[in-house]
Amino acid sequence: MQNMVKKLGARSPVADVAQFFLLITVLGWVIWRGVDQMEYRWQWYRVPAFFFREIDGEIIWGPLIYGLQVTLYAAAWGMVLTLLIGLTTAILRLSQSISGRALARGYVEIIRNTPLLVQVSIFYFVLQPILGINNPLWTGILCLAFFEGSFASEIIRASINSVARGQWEAARTIGLDKRRTYMNVILPQAIPLMLPPLTGILVNLIKHSAILSFVAVFELTTEARNLVADTFMSFEIWLIVGGMYLVMTILLSTVVGYFERKVRRRA
Amino acid sequence: MANNKNKLKIVPLDFVVLAAVLIFVAYVIYRIDSVLIYNWDWSVIPGYLFRWDEETSRFLPNLLIKGLITTIRISIWALILSTIIGVLLGIARTSKRLLPRLVGWVYVEFIRNIPPVPFLFLFYFFISSQIIPHLEIRETLEGLSPGTRASFELLIGPSNLVENFISGVISLALMSAAYIAEIVRAGIQSIPKGQTEAGHTVGLSRMKTLRYVILPQAIQRVLPPLAGQFITLIKDSSLVALISIQELSFLAMEIAISEQRFFEVWLAVGFMYFSVCFACSLVFNRLEKRGAMR
Repeated sequence: MQNMVKKLGARSPVADVAQFFLLITVLGWVIWRGVDQMEYRWQWYRVPAFFFREIDGEIIWGPLIYGLQVTLYAAAWGMVLTLLIGLTTAILRLSQSISGRALARGYVEIIRNTPLLVQVSIFYFVLQPILGINNPLWTGILCLAFFEGSFASEIIRASINSVARGQWEAARTIGLDKRRTYMNVILPQAIPLMLPPLTGILVNLIKHSAILSFVAVFELTTEARNLVADTFMSFEIWLIVGGMYLVMTILLSTVVGYFERKVRRRA
Repeated sequence: MANNKNKLKIVPLDFVVLAAVLIFVAYVIYRIDSVLIYNWDWSVIPGYLFRWDEETSRFLPNLLIKGLITTIRISIWALILSTIIGVLLGIARTSKRLLPRLVGWVYVEFIRNIPPVPFLFLFYFFISSQIIPHLEIRETLEGLSPGTRASFELLIGPSNLVENFISGVISLALMSAAYIAEIVRAGIQSIPKGQTEAGHTVGLSRMKTLRYVILPQAIQRVLPPLAGQFITLIKDSSLVALISIQELSFLAMEIAISEQRFFEVWLAVGFMYFSVCFACSLVFNRLEKRGAMR
């Protein structure tokens, strides 16, 4: 009965979707008018040259493509290091060792309670000269990895902890040692659980790498800032760059969603 | 693991950890003392925290403390503004109709998938050039009597920087609102469906059910993550340094350059952020525990 009433009163989604697009159009128009009132000169025709130019049949990549490459490079290597740092921290936090746990706890608290921008500054202005790293990009990657590593360690720890207690007891009962308990019983169950949130970290790496534009790393946002400084085409460039990030992160988020559904179906 | 949760002892791993830490510290000291030959000079920091004022003959806050106050001011205003937007969006996302759900969903996904830095640049450019000048805030403030102006300045900082300040607050609040919307949505959805049905059964309208039945219960669950969002805002407010708003990170950058003391200034500023955020998280944890016990 209740269901029938609901169904009779339900509206067609078409009307709502149409209203939504109307809303977006109106909003877009308002912003467009606003920008026009600033006597802003749109120069979209110049944008393709920021991606590539064709000179004598030869393609020369533009600054945005170079920036994109650096962003993806930083995210990829950042992910590898993040996993290493996260795994080490998770092992330390799961261990019985007093100093191991203290170190892991201190690391996580420091990362959690300071802004990423300040961490980037400390890595770039303080740790880079002290440790003698001579490539700002790698300082940036290292900083991002230490930042995301604190989140990765939580994900790894939580997934291992979420394996049912009985599994540990069962493994002990059949006489497995600690290493084999982990390798053959716990990790095969924990890894599917951690995969979706760890892919989420890759999304965050792409997003947070934009902060490296604060120091001398020539990733996508830095290239965009330089282009804005050169051409004063703020709106076109930031809209395009925002769109580029959006495409990357939404693609990855879709993959995460797919993973998550798969894990849930299995569970 | 599950069986050794509370047992802490000294195991072989301790020696590995301690050795690694010792080697790292030794290497850092060696690099600073022997390779960089860096002379620490922490004496620059206190002068930037407080300065001696000759006229009133007492200590007044100097740039770093002023920056910290601006940081906290921005965070509080952004939290207030983003809570309002976030609650509306969160309710929209749990609505029965598709339109509000769609609006909420698109907003949240849009904000969450664009890095804060490009977003800040785009919005700052738009807000500060389009909206703020029309409001004539600075002119209004300057027309006020000194007394009222002083109390306004307590809330929003020096009136000559107010337009900048407001742009920063709006940009931060728009970003934070997406996360608060998710917190509110989760809070509302965590209330059992029976509560909504009970509300309808006793004849409450949908709005009244939300207001008198769902939200009072949801607020209790929403408060702890909302407190966490305040800490996130303090940290994220450092990003507005990129659009030249004079909060702690921006001033740190300027002082570090003018004094050529990058090590000391950035470490000190990192410590300042850490103390504020860590203190907040301790306080919030305690409040949460006390609330849970009641």
